[in-house]
Amino acid sequence: MSALVVEGLRRDHGAHTAVSGLSFAVAPGELYGLVGPDGAGKSTTIGCLAGLMRPSAGSVRVLGEDPMARGSHARERLGLMPQEYSLYGDLTIAENLRFFGQLFGLPRRAFDERRARLLGITRLARFEDRRADALSGGMYKKLALACALLHRPDVLLLDEPTNGVDPVSRRELWALVHELVGEGMAVLLSTPYMDEAARCHRVGLMHEGHLIAEGEPGALTDALEHEVFELEGGEREVLHAVLTADPDVVAASPAGERLRVVVAPGAGARLAASLAAHGTTLRRVPPDFEDLFLARVAA
Amino acid sequence: MRRALAMLAAVAKKEVRQTVRDRRMMALLIVAPIIQLYVFGHAVDLEVDRVPVVVVDHDGSDASRTHLARLFADGTLVEVGRAPDAGTAERALERGEAAVALVIPPGFGDDVARGRTARVQAVLDGSDPNRASVAAAAIGAYFATEGASLARARLAERAAVAGASARAPDVRVETRVLFNPRLDTAVYMVPGVAAMLLMLITTIVSAMGLAREREVGTLEQILVTPVPAAILILGKVLPFAAVGLFDFGIALAVGAFVFDMPLHGDVGVLVLSTVLYLGVTLGVGLLIATHSGTQQQAFLGGFLFMLPAALLSGIMTPIRSMPEWLQPLTLVNPLRHYAEVLRGSLLRGAGLEALAEPLAILAVMGLVVFGYASLRFRAAMMK
Repeated sequence: MSALVVEGLRRDHGAHTAVSGLSFAVAPGELYGLVGPDGAGKSTTIGCLAGLMRPSAGSVRVLGEDPMARGSHARERLGLMPQEYSLYGDLTIAENLRFFGQLFGLPRRAFDERRARLLGITRLARFEDRRADALSGGMYKKLALACALLHRPDVLLLDEPTNGVDPVSRRELWALVHELVGEGMAVLLSTPYMDEAARCHRVGLMHEGHLIAEGEPGALTDALEHEVFELEGGEREVLHAVLTADPDVVAASPAGERLRVVVAPGAGARLAASLAAHGTTLRRVPPDFEDLFLARVAA
Repeated sequence: MRRALAMLAAVAKKEVRQTVRDRRMMALLIVAPIIQLYVFGHAVDLEVDRVPVVVVDHDGSDASRTHLARLFADGTLVEVGRAPDAGTAERALERGEAAVALVIPPGFGDDVARGRTARVQAVLDGSDPNRASVAAAAIGAYFATEGASLARARLAERAAVAGASARAPDVRVETRVLFNPRLDTAVYMVPGVAAMLLMLITTIVSAMGLAREREVGTLEQILVTPVPAAILILGKVLPFAAVGLFDFGIALAVGAFVFDMPLHGDVGVLVLSTVLYLGVTLGVGLLIATHSGTQQQAFLGGFLFMLPAALLSGIMTPIRSMPEWLQPLTLVNPLRHYAEVLRGSLLRGAGLEALAEPLAILAVMGLVVFGYASLRFRAAMMK
């Protein structure tokens, strides 16, 4: 049975539709990434799954239950790490943990055990008496994660956990998430960073409230029929003019010294010929997730 | 049950911690009430005395001087200057230098001496009706008494000449003032001001407290825990109910020591009524918070409730003197009932039986407001 099921979800904020016709499922022991730019509807989807927002249409199920329903046990088995600040800045790390532990009704001994373990793996033990508003972005996120994990949820929702986090903490967070998934937890994570898609088991690519692609990240990029090239040589302005005028060029973006170009299927040879006149050579490269996103959005 | 109590304790403890760490909040809760009660208690003193009077004495006789000196003797009116004529005196009224112009026409002393009708003109600044009527009453009462004693003296003279009895008919009213013998308005006002202060503090604190959690984002993390809405609400409110009771104690102390307010009431009745009242004001705060997205909205919402509540409470102006259609509205005002209980209990020593009705109304209000706030809570807090 799937741990999380979203079926035909639509959610309106006033006249604006944030999410529409969204369906996907996450299995226990699976790390599912909702990947998309800001405003794609990721947080809205997570809000509906956490029972914080009522779907306008369609349904969400957490471990088979409607998280909004009265008497639902979903909340006891679900952990949420919101994107925004969600802990008490004027309380210390220890006090925040204790407070949420008590709200989850944890017995003293179980709480002490888990607190020690979570402080250990997040490496926050040394800062136990520091107020939450005095923590760095990465430490704060780790504390929020620890609070969301106190009651050992079966399902974990992480809304942009790596946003505003330094590279070291980011790597630690990912390692921790993989460990949890390895223990059988179902994890749904959202991120605006395309390069993080590769760290997930499965990915749902979101754009303007819709899922525009879904699958294993490797399989998704492999299946991309568009061709991706890195351009070398030639004058930037001239290249820019040629590329924007060419209807087969889906996207062009600087990648270091070079330009990276996504081209419609089969149009690579023709583009290479026309660019040769400007002294530019094309080198075919394997598509990454960003290329996939750009190609899908253009389509 | 044990689990629910543990959750309740956790929420309450968290609230206390946050409050204690917030210096401004502590000042608002504990220091502000003392200062406000002291200042407001004096400010809402409705007694009128030392009304400034400008005098125009066209007569300039011994009689006019004697009467003026005696008129000003008790301090209700005070002479602030002389003017050569009525026009100049009226301009002093326009400039606000005096509230009354007293004009004594030429021949006043002569008229009095000869037993003719003597006239005195009083021009009043009516922009403060209360002050104007006090001044008019003081001048009227003075000359009425003087007139009566002149009449009696004249009667006695004539009687002596005619050899007859000189008893003039006379009625005297013996007044005995109960509960507040000196008719101090401060004593009457302090319980009312204390009730308003409690409302101000507790409504704002509970409205802002919940609105802050929502605005800052901490509410999201709480809403995904299994804690029931009623427990969360109760836990957030209980510490402030305790603070409210503490402030009530401060108010009584300030009332007793600074304003000589009598403390007749039964402690049980006072505490019961205050707890019931705090239940309503804190509940209203929560209700306001469920209707507001930000702390700013909660704050404004608080004032939208408190201003009419204060005006329609009967504390400042008697409910009987409000327009008839407005009077029933005061029945849904918790402040009205609480002020009634406080005045009844503190000043008159009224007991549980005499105050059963307002107490029952407060209890029902509290239940309704809290019940509605808990029901509304989850739906309202979701986006």
